[in-house]
Amino acid sequence: MSHLRIEQLAKTYGPVSALRSANFEILPGEIHALLGANGAGKSTLVKILTGVTSKDSGTIALNGEPIHFTSPDEARKNGVAPVFQDPALIPDISLRRNLKLTSTDEKRFLSYLTNMEISVDVNTLVGLIELPILRMIDLARALSHDPEILILDEITAALPIDMADKVIKIMKEHKESGKSVIFISHRLAEIEHICDRATVLRDGIDVDTFPTGEGSEERIVTSMLGTQSRPAPVSKKAKSAEAEEIFLSVEELRRGTSLQGITFTVKKGEVLGVAALEGQGQDLLFEILAGEVKPDSGTLKVSGEAIKFSHPMDAISHGIAYVPGDRKTALLPQRSIHENLAATTFKGIRNWGRINRTSESLKVANAISNLQIDTRAASQVKQLSGGNQQKVTIGRWVTTGFDLLLCFDPTRGIDVGTKAQIYSLLRTFADEGHSVLLFTSELREIQLACDRAIIIYEGKVHAELPIEKCDESSLLSAVHGIVIA
Amino acid sequence: MMNQLRLRERSWTLGITALFLILGIWRSQQLPHFGSYEIKTIILGAVPIALLAMGQSLIIIGGGINLAIGAEALLINCLTAKFMNHTSFVHSLLIGILGLACSVLVGAITGWVISISGIADIVVTLATSFVIVGLAMVIFPIPGGGANIHFAHLVTGGGKSFVFPLFAIMVPYLVIWVPLYRSRTGISIFAIGSNKDAAFLSGVDVTRTRIKLYAFGGLFAGLSGIALTCVTLSGSAIITIANAATLYSVAASVLGGIALAGGVGGLFGPILASFVIYFIPTIMLGYGIDPAYSQIIQGALTILVVLAGGWLRLRAKRSK
Repeated sequence: MSHLRIEQLAKTYGPVSALRSANFEILPGEIHALLGANGAGKSTLVKILTGVTSKDSGTIALNGEPIHFTSPDEARKNGVAPVFQDPALIPDISLRRNLKLTSTDEKRFLSYLTNMEISVDVNTLVGLIELPILRMIDLARALSHDPEILILDEITAALPIDMADKVIKIMKEHKESGKSVIFISHRLAEIEHICDRATVLRDGIDVDTFPTGEGSEERIVTSMLGTQSRPAPVSKKAKSAEAEEIFLSVEELRRGTSLQGITFTVKKGEVLGVAALEGQGQDLLFEILAGEVKPDSGTLKVSGEAIKFSHPMDAISHGIAYVPGDRKTALLPQRSIHENLAATTFKGIRNWGRINRTSESLKVANAISNLQIDTRAASQVKQLSGGNQQKVTIGRWVTTGFDLLLCFDPTRGIDVGTKAQIYSLLRTFADEGHSVLLFTSELREIQLACDRAIIIYEGKVHAELPIEKCDESSLLSAVHGIVIA
Repeated sequence: MMNQLRLRERSWTLGITALFLILGIWRSQQLPHFGSYEIKTIILGAVPIALLAMGQSLIIIGGGINLAIGAEALLINCLTAKFMNHTSFVHSLLIGILGLACSVLVGAITGWVISISGIADIVVTLATSFVIVGLAMVIFPIPGGGANIHFAHLVTGGGKSFVFPLFAIMVPYLVIWVPLYRSRTGISIFAIGSNKDAAFLSGVDVTRTRIKLYAFGGLFAGLSGIALTCVTLSGSAIITIANAATLYSVAASVLGGIALAGGVGGLFGPILASFVIYFIPTIMLGYGIDPAYSQIIQGALTILVVLAGGWLRLRAKRSK
């Protein structure tokens, strides 16, 4: 039996109130979705529940007993175990020592791992394990503490489909044993299949709680957005003939075993979608195009001219801008929004003069208003929500200017409203004659945002689909390497 | 998948061992006679810096750095030299234990101040280094002092045998480091050095671990101070000694394979590195070369080794 009741939970960080008055109840044996746009207070609620941070007011009761955890360790010992999007494992020590740190029973842990059909040597350094596997390891570790309440925060984001399925199976098993799961996800399609009930938070208040089922998606989106409307496919301009001009062509690009001869072209004024399962070489492809990694062989042509990148600066000077999947690698987290947006505008160190503050400020102000960046926490980018951070990483190229924007999974872990803003932004770029290469791990978004899509499978372009054929089910078969007629 | 980082650590240890052996053999060739007594002299020369390097390495593994570690050793050197002079063996031993307790306390307070103030380790310990050296000067204004000779023999050994000096390094290594490495505290130290947030989420009490970390660093500094008293049979509160010792301890840590970013390394490499640091000026002196050159060579060598380490890391990353 596990019954969790949260009443009128509130928490403020300085001037920002993350939670105003959240009520939330988990019944024994249920999978409960906790939903909300970025900044709605989900993470704060989870942090309080797991002892990471303290509450200002309100009550939390587990099986009728009021609880107040002061550390994650205490929460774990009392039956509340979280698994976060970024696994809480120490990279520089072995898995075995990590388990010892959390007093996890190794045998139990390994049996859970075997159950997931994953085999890992416990003497491996954690830093060498791939992220998806690491999340499964973190999950197995949480399970071996036999938690009454298992909290899964965005665990399926960017997880390969087979592993996501395993996670779902585990959640269902956990529920059948009479315990409960709190499931946080931005993949709304999952919710109605996996969860029993859902609670939606908006601005730190629970606005809706209801049993999930067919068609809940609509209701979730409505309550998440409040008065805003749900995202519609961005309208596309009719393509004129000049739009057929090719900006970038990639020919027989190879690197190691990951890329085995990729060939495709990006036209001017189009958003080209890239769909692929995790680990098909798409990350390496983007890094090569951004000049971060050198290919073993193959040619890149920008506007018909063959080029070689030896440094990201080369790519940037050819008008290719990269928005990496990991926002942390792109941002200067301790610096202000202003500086982050302006970071790439210094066109080279040979410009000895002082920076022209007026023109810089103008560009930055433009980008902020175009991208609708929330500037309440303007002094340090690390204090922004994920969605706003992503806007800043894109915004810096708006201030700098570009011909081709490489976006690697830009909407991962971002709420519906911000997603729509980002996609309409990408559309604006295309309409202005720029090109966008967009990889997204959420297949349904291809049709929302792109003009055309290529499917990468095992390091090669497996198929190219016109947008009319990019419905979720066709893409799903294509990314699994099934040949499309 | 091969354990690239392990491989890197192993090749580093191999490299520093090779360097240690080459310089050791070189030095032995310089001496007209090379036997137990000469080995003893070499080890005795390296004992204080080796112990200090162990303390510094531990702190760096835990994500910190202690610029006052040389000062801590100096303080204990002065305290013990002052109070052990003309005493019985038991009295000296008790003073030694008190001295260790004192340095552990100083370390713990340092760790506590860093934790509650949130000020960077490098700033806090730079400040404490002045305070501690000042304290040593107040306690022991004029160089001198001594210790019970039988107590000193615990480190130096009475005769020609190099066993006691070797013990002075290996006993702390085996009795403090090895069990610590295996304990939950040890794992927590690696954890906070590697990723503080993940450590916290794994249930590590970061503040308490940091206090323990600096306390252990203090323990090694205290041992180093006592070893210095036993080897030199005197103490002297001179700030340049403390500062040089601190810098040598950092150099030995880096040479010994400790990543300055924290979370990586062990204490065996730094012990060998301390010998390397001891050998370079000694060998130079053996050739009658100006000691100033040995400083240059030592610096160049440190950069070379760190470069080699960086190259190894890069290669490991590429082949992944």
